[in-house]
Amino acid sequence: MIRSRTASRRLAWPALALTIALGVTACGGSSDDGGKTTSTTGGSELAAATINGSGATFPQAFYETAIEAFKAEQSAVTVTYAGGGSGKGQTDLAAGLVDWAGSDSVVKPEDAAKFQTPFLYFPTVAAPITVSYNLSGVKALRLSADTIAGIFGGTITKWDDAAIAADNPKADLPSTAIVVVHRADGSGTTANFTKYLTKAAPTAWTLGTDKVVNWPAGQQAGNGNAGVAQIVKSTNGAIGYVDFSDAEFSGLSYASVKNASGKFVTASLEGASAAVNGATINSDLTYDPLDAEGAAAYPITAPTYLLISTTYTDAAKGAAVKGFVEYILTGGQSLAAEVGFAKLPAELAARALAQLEKVTVG
Amino acid sequence: MSEPTDPIAPEPLGGHRPPGRVVDGTFRVFAATGGALVLLILAAILITTTRNAWPAFADQGLSFLTSSTWDVVQGTFGTLAFTYGTLVISLIALLIAVPVSLGVALFVTELVPDRARRAVVFVIDLLAAIPSVVFGLWGILVLAPALTGTYTNVADEVSGIPVLGTLLSGDPISGRSFFTAGLILAIMITPIITSITRETFATVPRAQKDGAFALGATRWEMIRGAVFPHSRSGIVAGVLLGFGRAIGETIAVALVIGSSPQITARLFNSGDALSAVIANQFGESTGTYQAALIGMGVLLFALTLVISMIARGVIHRAERRIGTASA
Amino acid sequence: MSAVTVPAVRPSLKRSSASRRRHAANHLALALMVIAFIVTVIPLGLILGYVVVRGMKVMSWSFLTTDIPIVSRAPGGGMGPAVVGTLLITGAAALLAIPLGVLGGIYLHEYGGGSTRARIIRFLSEVMTGVPSIVMGLFIYTTWVLAFGVSGFAGALALACLMLPVIIRTTEEMLRLVPLDQRQSAYALGGRRAGTIVRVVLPAAAPGIISGVLLAIARAAGETAPLLFTILTVNTVNTDLFNGANTALSVQIFRNAQQVFPGPQERAWGAALALIGIVVIFTVIARAVSAVFSRKHHA
Repeated sequence: MIRSRTASRRLAWPALALTIALGVTACGGSSDDGGKTTSTTGGSELAAATINGSGATFPQAFYETAIEAFKAEQSAVTVTYAGGGSGKGQTDLAAGLVDWAGSDSVVKPEDAAKFQTPFLYFPTVAAPITVSYNLSGVKALRLSADTIAGIFGGTITKWDDAAIAADNPKADLPSTAIVVVHRADGSGTTANFTKYLTKAAPTAWTLGTDKVVNWPAGQQAGNGNAGVAQIVKSTNGAIGYVDFSDAEFSGLSYASVKNASGKFVTASLEGASAAVNGATINSDLTYDPLDAEGAAAYPITAPTYLLISTTYTDAAKGAAVKGFVEYILTGGQSLAAEVGFAKLPAELAARALAQLEKVTVG
Repeated sequence: MSEPTDPIAPEPLGGHRPPGRVVDGTFRVFAATGGALVLLILAAILITTTRNAWPAFADQGLSFLTSSTWDVVQGTFGTLAFTYGTLVISLIALLIAVPVSLGVALFVTELVPDRARRAVVFVIDLLAAIPSVVFGLWGILVLAPALTGTYTNVADEVSGIPVLGTLLSGDPISGRSFFTAGLILAIMITPIITSITRETFATVPRAQKDGAFALGATRWEMIRGAVFPHSRSGIVAGVLLGFGRAIGETIAVALVIGSSPQITARLFNSGDALSAVIANQFGESTGTYQAALIGMGVLLFALTLVISMIARGVIHRAERRIGTASA
Repeated sequence: MSAVTVPAVRPSLKRSSASRRRHAANHLALALMVIAFIVTVIPLGLILGYVVVRGMKVMSWSFLTTDIPIVSRAPGGGMGPAVVGTLLITGAAALLAIPLGVLGGIYLHEYGGGSTRARIIRFLSEVMTGVPSIVMGLFIYTTWVLAFGVSGFAGALALACLMLPVIIRTTEEMLRLVPLDQRQSAYALGGRRAGTIVRVVLPAAAPGIISGVLLAIARAAGETAPLLFTILTVNTVNTDLFNGANTALSVQIFRNAQQVFPGPQERAWGAALALIGIVVIFTVIARAVSAVFSRKHHA
C-alpha cells in the first residue's frame, strides 16, 4: 500500500520546485527542438550506464521521444528501446535480458511466477486505439462495438453489410471485400482491443482476449503497430487496430466508435483523457479505461505501463532506471501530447512517482 | 585414391625422438579438435532443441503435427497450417525455378562461348550473393504492392476454369501471399539449382556430344539425347537442394507471406510458414508456447535433413554409376 | 554379277533436309534458354536497381557514420552503429570459425581418411550446413543468451556455427584437389605429415580455401535470423562485443521494412545498399583470388 498522504507531503516541495522550474524553462528556454520543455530530475547527475528496454510498440513513439529528451539531460546514461510487442517485453524482463519493459497488458499470474525478480507496474501514458481503415470515398466512418466485433470476428465480410450501413445511414458504402488486419506478434494492443470487445460486445465477440488471439482465416497480419498501419495504408478495403500516434502521423483515416453512453466519439486525446479520468485505479496502479462511461469518453482507450524490477543489483543501472522512470512521470509527461498520447491525470502520476520509492538499488 | 601414409621413420641413431614427430602429433590433435567440435556443436543443437521442444510434444501429442488449430489462448498448438504453408511456397518456388534454372544452365554450358562464360557465371553468382533480408525488403516494399493489381487481373481472367480458377484466386487477394513468397523463393533458389546442374552438364563426355552431332542431331536433340540422360541424377540433386533451401528460408518469407496461418488452395491468400512464424512470435513466447515454436524449428530441421540425405544418396549413386561407366 | 545395289534414293547430306519441325523445335528450345537467362537477370537487375536508386538517396559518408535516430519514425540519421555491428560481429564469427573450420577440414582429409569417425564428422558437417539459420539462432538463445545475456558475441557465436561446416567442407574439397604427386614428392624429400601439410599442401589449396572462406563471410554478413534473438538493439555504436546489446545492418533492414513511415523505410534502403556493398566486395575478392591463382597454376 502506498502511504499516499506522507508520500505526497514529501513530494510537495520538490513538485512545487519542479513546476516552477518547468514554468521558467518554458518561458525562458528556446531550443531548436520545437521548444520542448524538460525538467531536471532533482538536479543530480546520473553515473554512466546503459539500460536496455523492450516491449510494447503502442507507446514506442512516446518512449523514444522521452529517451531523446532524457539523453539531453543525462548525457551519461544511454537508454535503448527495442520494441517487439508487450509479450516480448514481459518475457525479456522475466529472463533478465532487459532492464525495463513496456507492456500494454497486465502480466498473467502464471507468467508472473517466471520472473527472476518481482516487478512493479508504472503507468506512463494512455492513448486511443484507433480502428483505422482504408476505403476510397468513405470519410467519416462510424462503428458500434457489435459491428466491430463482427468485422474482426469474420462474420461481416463486405463493406456494404447491413450492420455497417446501420451505423452509417448517410454514407455511401461500396461492396468491396473487407481486408481485416491484426497483429502477427504478441501484442498488448491486441489484448486491450479484444478486451474492449469482450466488454462492449459480449455476445458478438467470441474469440476471447489475450496478446495473441485465434483470428479467423483470411485475414492479414503485421508486425508491430507500425506493421499493421503499413498494411492498412497500402490496401484498399483494409481495416485494422492501430495506436493513435501511428495512425495520426501516417495519415490513416479512423472511425468514430460508439461508447458506453451511446455517443459516437472519434479517437482523440481529449476522448482518451475523459476515459482515463473515469477509470478505477487498482492498488498495483493498473487501471482499465476501456468502454468507460461518460459522453466524451473514447471507448477504446488503452493504458500502458512500464514494468520495473523491485531490486537492481547494479547501482548505476538501478539509478539510471529510476531516473528514467522519474523523468517520464514528470517532465516527460509534457512531451506526450505532441506525439499523440494522453498524459496521466496528475494524481495518478503522483501515485506512480511515490511507488518509485519501492525500487531498491544496489 | 588411397591416403598417403606416413613415411616410415628410420630409428634415430642417438635414441632421441625427432622433434618433428612431436610437432606432427600436436598438429594432428589441433586438427582433430576442429573436427570434433563439429560433432559437439551439432550434438548440442540436436539435444538442446529437442529437450526444449519436448514439453510441446508431450503436451500436444500427435496433434502437434496433424492439427491445424494454432490457438495460443487455449493452449492448442497444431502446426499443420504452417507445414502446409512451407510446403506450398517451396513447391511454387520449384515449379518456377526448375525450368528456369535448367534453361540457364544449358544456356551457360551450351550456348555461351568460352570467353563470355565467366562473366555470365559471375552475373548468376551475384544473384546468389544478395542477402535474404534484401530480397524481403524489395519484396514487401516493391513487389507485393505491385503484384496486388496483377493478381486481381489474373484472378478475373481465370475465374471460370475449374482447378486453375481456385488456385489463382484470393479471398481476399493480397500482395503478401503464398504466391508472392513462392515467387521470391524461386528467385532465391535459382542460382543454387543452376550451379549444380551446370556442373553436372559440364561433365557430359565430349564424345557423346560430338557423336550426336555427327549423327545429324540439332543442338536441342543433342541436349535431349546426350546431356539430359547423363545428368538426370545431378538435376535431381540440384532440385532437392533447392527444395531444402526453400524450406529453410526465413526472413524473406516472413516479410511477404502475410502471417495468417490457413490451409487453403487459393494461392493469392495470405498464409504462414514454419520458419516465418518462429521469427515473428518467438520473442514473446513462454512455456509451452515457446516449446511449440522450438518444436517447429526441430520439425524444420528434420525436413531439411531428410531432403539433403536423399540428395546425397542420389549424388552418391550417380557418382558410383559414373565411376563404373567410365572405368 | 553386280556387287552392290545402288539405292534408288540417295540420302542428301544437306542441312536443309532435316525436317523443318526439328529445326523449329531446336530454335524454340534455344530461344527458351536465352529467355530463361533473361528471366533470371531481370529480378537481379530490378532488385539491385531499386536498392541502388533508393539507397543512394540517403547514402553518404555521414549516413554510414551517424547514429540511428532514437525516434524511429524520424527521417534522417544514419546506420553507423549497424555498419560497425555487422563488421564486428561478422569479423568475430570469422575469427571463431576459420581456424576451427580449416583445421577440421585438414583433419578430415589428411588424417581421417576413410575411418568411421571421419565419416561421421563429414556427414554431420554436411547435415549442419542444412540447419536453418533460425534454428541456429534459437540454439544460441536457449544455451548462451539465457545464461549470459544478449551481446554481440552471442550473435557472433550463432554466425560462427553457420560458417563452420561450410568452411570445413570447402577446405576438404580444396585439399582433395591438390595433386597426389606434390604430396609424395614432399614425403620423398623426407618431410613429415604436419610439415608437408603446412608447407606444401596448404599453400597449394590456399586460393580455393580463401575464396570459400570469403564467400562464407559474405553469406554470414547478410544473415538476419540468428541475430534476431541474440543482440537486441542499440542506437549508438557499441564496440564491446561482450557487453551489452548491439545491432547489425540485416536486423535494421528487417525491422525498418515493416515500418509505415518513409524515414525508416529510406534508412532500410540505405542499409541494404551498404550491406550489398559489403557482400559484393567480399564476393568479388573471392572470385578474383580464385581466378588469379588458378591462372597462375595453369601458366
